[in-house]
Amino acid sequence: MRYIFKFPDIGEGIDEGTIAEWYIEKGQTVQVGDALCKMETDKVVTDIPSPKNGTISARYGKIGETINVGDPLVEIEIEGTEADAGNEQQTEAVEEEGAGVVGTLEIAGNNAFLPASDEGFDEKEEEDKKPKKKALATPVARAMAKELGVDISKVTGTGPANRVMKEDIQNHFNQSGKSKTPSNSNISGENEVEIEPLSQLRKSIARNMVQSKQNAAHMSVFDEIEIEELIRIRTKYKERFAEQNVKLSYLPFVLKATAMALRKFKALNSEMDLENNQMIYKKYYNIGIAVDTPDGLVVPVIRNVDKKTIFELASEINEMAHKARNKEISLDDMKDGTFTITSFGSIGGMFAVPVINYPQAGILGIGRIVQKPVVKNNQIVPGNVLPLSMSVDHRIVDGGEVTRFLNQIMEYLSDPVSLIID
Amino acid sequence: MKYDVIIIGSGPAGYIAAVRAGQIGLKTAIIEKKDIGGMCLNWGCVPIKSLIESAKFYNKIKKAHDFGIKGIDPKVLEFDWLESQKRASGIVKKLTKGIEKLLKKNKVAIIKGEAKITSKNSVTVNNRNLEADKIIIATGSKPAPLKHQFNKKFIIELEELNKLKEIPKKLAVYGHGPVAIEIAQLFRLIDKDVTLFYEADDLVPGLDKFLTSYIISSMEKQGIQVIKTNSIKPGTKNNSIDVNKKTFKFDKLINCSWRNAVIPDSKKEIKTEKGFIKTNLFLQTNIPSIYAIGDVNGESFLAHSASAQGFFAINHSEGIKGEIQLHNYPMNIYSNPEVAQIGKTEQQLKDLEIDYMVTSYPLSLNSKALAEGNEEGFIRILSEKKLGEVLGVQIVSHNATDMIAEATAFMSVEATVYDVAKTVHAHPTISEVFMEAGHDAIGQALHK
Repeated sequence: MRYIFKFPDIGEGIDEGTIAEWYIEKGQTVQVGDALCKMETDKVVTDIPSPKNGTISARYGKIGETINVGDPLVEIEIEGTEADAGNEQQTEAVEEEGAGVVGTLEIAGNNAFLPASDEGFDEKEEEDKKPKKKALATPVARAMAKELGVDISKVTGTGPANRVMKEDIQNHFNQSGKSKTPSNSNISGENEVEIEPLSQLRKSIARNMVQSKQNAAHMSVFDEIEIEELIRIRTKYKERFAEQNVKLSYLPFVLKATAMALRKFKALNSEMDLENNQMIYKKYYNIGIAVDTPDGLVVPVIRNVDKKTIFELASEINEMAHKARNKEISLDDMKDGTFTITSFGSIGGMFAVPVINYPQAGILGIGRIVQKPVVKNNQIVPGNVLPLSMSVDHRIVDGGEVTRFLNQIMEYLSDPVSLIID
Repeated sequence: MKYDVIIIGSGPAGYIAAVRAGQIGLKTAIIEKKDIGGMCLNWGCVPIKSLIESAKFYNKIKKAHDFGIKGIDPKVLEFDWLESQKRASGIVKKLTKGIEKLLKKNKVAIIKGEAKITSKNSVTVNNRNLEADKIIIATGSKPAPLKHQFNKKFIIELEELNKLKEIPKKLAVYGHGPVAIEIAQLFRLIDKDVTLFYEADDLVPGLDKFLTSYIISSMEKQGIQVIKTNSIKPGTKNNSIDVNKKTFKFDKLINCSWRNAVIPDSKKEIKTEKGFIKTNLFLQTNIPSIYAIGDVNGESFLAHSASAQGFFAINHSEGIKGEIQLHNYPMNIYSNPEVAQIGKTEQQLKDLEIDYMVTSYPLSLNSKALAEGNEEGFIRILSEKKLGEVLGVQIVSHNATDMIAEATAFMSVEATVYDVAKTVHAHPTISEVFMEAGHDAIGQALHK
């Protein structure tokens, strides 16, 4: 039996990927879990494992080609299985075997099973694809989209049942045309602009940022905290950590303080589920850390922060930063965050209005520690001040609550010992 | 008495608005000064269509011999005007009763009398004051009175057609537009001498010139004189017309002039433009609580458009979102044979500088049309050249007014000539001409 393996939904809203490398050739035998290809998605570079034992009978897509989720990736000839597409039991058995190879892998449906013949393959495949892919659009809209090179699935239809009408294509084209205008028509010299196609990561960032700004009611608060004691402790343990090859920054302390404060303020560790008219409060504290990479921002997640020691947190942060910069972060590394911390202070910023990692309820921004005059015991003395910027989804969190939350974090940071006492 | 909505006029605009209002639970009253159903039902579309059907039947029977039926002598056949009127009024009665029932079912109060608008929320009728949140004017239109000084006893107004006991031999029909053509042909079909006079640039405003010239030549072939002029004068003898130094005598002149709005009396000024009530995109007049729908706003003179407006106005007054398309409807002429058009005309496409093509297919090559003896006619599809979108369809056929529905459906989903060509049509049917013209447009005519 021939099994068509389609580029699976690997979660995190990824809908397309670019083939970076093929590990297999036609005719090659593969085992379940063998890497078939390296796929660059908008967030990670990841290997796509084979869901079946068998022989590769076809490979779709060249290196550099973009593949949509649901598009066929390879065909695997499975040995010892009768070519009986109609046998449901069999279908189920094979499907089960393939399920769960990588996280939330979604295996192709029943139609993926075809007799081992090239005949009729194209046709059946078409049938299989159409209902999934075909946007509701009028014939003229389709023809016009083709003519103008507009991806019809990205156009919002205004006709009955959201049917895409020709006017929608025209409007879509005009709009995207407008944004192109400066780069295309106003170029007086050749070197004034440089045109680069959007990377998957940049596209993903753009989509997520807009989604967040459109859905969450952003509200921000700012504060400063004197962290003399924290500096002392960090300096004291820095070298001890270094002996074990772990760099100790202030981040693990902030992480820990945040997780502990989240335990006290459940609204900050929640999300709003409007579809079902409910709030989801999470009892686990997985904090994402925004990491700056040459290609753009990625947000790996440190899990169960509340249960980990400062040392554990520090080494995990080190590991994640390394992985992020080498594009080795897996999708699993970025999943299930409940809150996010962005530390722009390491680059030099003081305050910012961070954008919430939607659908989370809040994000904490850590600025650069600066020396400033502070008042202690009625005396002006030099102090080390850490600026904090916090954005919350005002739909979920009220102003008083976010201030109390931030106060709690500051309390922990000004008295780090309380991190192990509380 | 206080209503949510009062509708003045019970024609296709008014009664649909009333039914819709009732459906969504509004306390509704409809005021009618004459007959429920308005012009369309009582002296417009429906009775005229019934009379035309009788006249066409009369003509078809004359050809009985050709169909293999013996015993019918065309010479002894006679058209009974009164009987045909009776049939028409029977149909009218059935339909108006239906509408009354419908109104009652939807709890609409029917008030007979002439309405006068007294404020933005009140109307008087039969000296009773009625109040309403919204007032909808749906008073329609009627042919403008003749501007020429004819003696009234020789003039027949359309409204009075159903009261005539007999029809004299020599008839002059004055006016332009579908009604003038239908009336001229109706009487020609029942063997009257008919001359059609019109003082307008186009015999049918908005109709493709190709169809207009077809209609004129077809009327002339049927023995109707068609005279376009801008200098009609009543003759010295009152029952004659002087045109271009020629005198045409007639027994009666039927007034089918272009329409004037019938505007109800109002204490508050309701603004008009060129004689019709001025409305905004939502069919509201200058007084937002007062809407004007159907012929009275001059947007379109089609019953189906009027009904669509009625439905829309009620929805809008209740804040139900939607859009109203005022113009892209089929234009039907119940001529002999029927003529129907939807979409753009050739002239409009030229004005818009659209690169278009015309493909056509004659009914004389269609098996069903031949079998029925209805081979006069054709279909024309106007399509955009690059993508093939169907931009206009024109049909001449004895059943064109029904056939056009297919074109309407094609166009509402922005179909292309490829879709028309690949839609399999049953054989033998006259609708096959669609497919043929579609194939022709993609350069693959099958039976041509």
